[in-house]
Amino acid sequence: MTAPPRSRLRPGDLLGVASVGLRTRRVRAALSALGVAIGIASIVSVLGIAASAQADLLAQIDRLGTNLLTVSDGQAVGGGPVPLPATAPAMVARIDGVAGVAPTAEIPTVYAYRNDLVPVTHTNGLSVRAADADLVPVLGATLASGHFLTGATGRYPVAVLGAHAASVLGRTGRIWVGGHWLTVVGVLDPLPLVPEIDRAVLVGFPAAGSLYGHDGHAGRIYVRTAVDDVATVAAALARTANPVNAVAASVSRPSDVLTARLAVARSGTGLFLGLGAVALLVGTVGIANVMVIGVLERRAEIGLRRALGARRGHIGAQFLGEAILLAFVGGTIGVGLGILITGIVAALHAWTLTIPAAAVWGGLAAAMVIGAVAGLYPAARAARLAPTDALRSP
Amino acid sequence: MRIALEAVGVRKVYPGPPPVVPVAGIDLCVAEGESVAVVGPSGSGKSTLLHLLAALDRPTAGTVRIDGIDVSGLPDAEVAGVRAHRLGIVFQQFHLIDSLTAVDNVATGLLYRGIRAARRRHLARTALDRVGLGHRERHRPTELSGGERQRVAIARAIVGEPAAVLADEPTGNLDSVAAAGLLDLLTGLHRDGATVLVVTHDAVVASTMHRQVEVRDGLIARDSGTGR
Repeated sequence: MTAPPRSRLRPGDLLGVASVGLRTRRVRAALSALGVAIGIASIVSVLGIAASAQADLLAQIDRLGTNLLTVSDGQAVGGGPVPLPATAPAMVARIDGVAGVAPTAEIPTVYAYRNDLVPVTHTNGLSVRAADADLVPVLGATLASGHFLTGATGRYPVAVLGAHAASVLGRTGRIWVGGHWLTVVGVLDPLPLVPEIDRAVLVGFPAAGSLYGHDGHAGRIYVRTAVDDVATVAAALARTANPVNAVAASVSRPSDVLTARLAVARSGTGLFLGLGAVALLVGTVGIANVMVIGVLERRAEIGLRRALGARRGHIGAQFLGEAILLAFVGGTIGVGLGILITGIVAALHAWTLTIPAAAVWGGLAAAMVIGAVAGLYPAARAARLAPTDALRSP
Repeated sequence: MRIALEAVGVRKVYPGPPPVVPVAGIDLCVAEGESVAVVGPSGSGKSTLLHLLAALDRPTAGTVRIDGIDVSGLPDAEVAGVRAHRLGIVFQQFHLIDSLTAVDNVATGLLYRGIRAARRRHLARTALDRVGLGHRERHRPTELSGGERQRVAIARAIVGEPAAVLADEPTGNLDSVAAAGLLDLLTGLHRDGATVLVVTHDAVVASTMHRQVEVRDGLIARDSGTGR
């Protein structure tokens, strides 16, 4: 007896055979791929937007530096404020690793207005603060216009405005502050790390004393440390600034706020990823549905292929391949769409576009896995079909 | 003399009350180069016999040999191999794939032999020329007449030069002119040496074959014998 000849389908031909259904029923293929495309697009764009936002925050933190600390008036256990002693700035400057110290003081009950006609209740949330020339190097601030306070101008009725204060009060001319006219001599660029300065009208300590009777005590001291000494300086700061009552001096690290925003941004993506996963699940069901219908409709073709010598495995592979191909097409469209959405959002926020490579490859891989899962049952059904039953259908 | 198709004591029973026995015990031997018509009224079991001889169905009892290979006990993968390499089948409904051109439809006859695409296409063109449709190779089935479609199907059946060509009512969906043309084609193939077995209830079709086997109630009622 002769050895039976082998039925064989070349891998390249399998691809052609698997794409027959997609080529003949294009609208249906497009619609069923759409579900997967939407799911993958949402996941890629959520990951891309989160990554772009995080990259932006990280860049901000890097630019502003994590080595800025503040120490300010504390709270007593029973309530009331505990002011820092007048010696605090000088003491703090002596800590090892401190690169710069800038004392400031918020002047209570003094508010700034565009002119003397503005009702006193319209403070716009701005504060009036005393500062000295060290503030600019310690905060790493830059001036949008004019110049900062110096030892000389600090004595006169002049003011430097934070970025937000300038947008409310005007960038030049005179402003009405606590019953005196001050001349605006400079405007700072925005300082994301210290928003209180953005909303401040800054005057020199001598002027604060002569115009508003301020006692010269610094309620908030900005401390720039060497990059490697942040922790040791932070540990020493409270007891150095207020040796008598160390627990009452409040120390903070402004970059922690941005770091916290980073964590919030990360936690927010979880929910959206979940929604994307639901869309993918719906897409999977959509593909499985279309494939089951396709197998029913193409019984005659299945019978023909069996008659031409296809094995059960070849039929199964054809339909499984078709489902994977369908999902892969959807996944590719989805990845493209996701990148597009991320690009638009990033452009609107002026972020640098960042797409995690894992989102792209993971999206495509997920699409193919989805196709395989969706195609398994229809492929098994197609493979099980008896050739004679299949051929009997028209 | 080589035997192309052979059935020995073949029975097919569909279980279930009451059991149906379309093939009740048939012995048939088709030698290489023969042309055979299996005739009989509808329900006589001739289509089931064709499915058994084409290894599309398995007999409940008995043995079917195709080109000397006993397919009764073979697993699916090996039966598929026999179909791919040894048989060409023509259906009443043509069963062409609408999205493929005529030449690509013919080439699918070689798809499951693992032959390269370029070689398949080359052989498919030759086969299309043989059935007189060389000029229609780029047309899709929907652009062809019924007679032309069936010619494409015959080209697909003969493209691999099988041990036997089996045809199930090949003229059943054709008008008389197209049917006459198709019969000329089949007799021409036979003249060139192909083994042809046609299942039909049409006496005209049957008379063009050299041997007539009449099936009735699942048994062979009359066999004109191997007169080549």
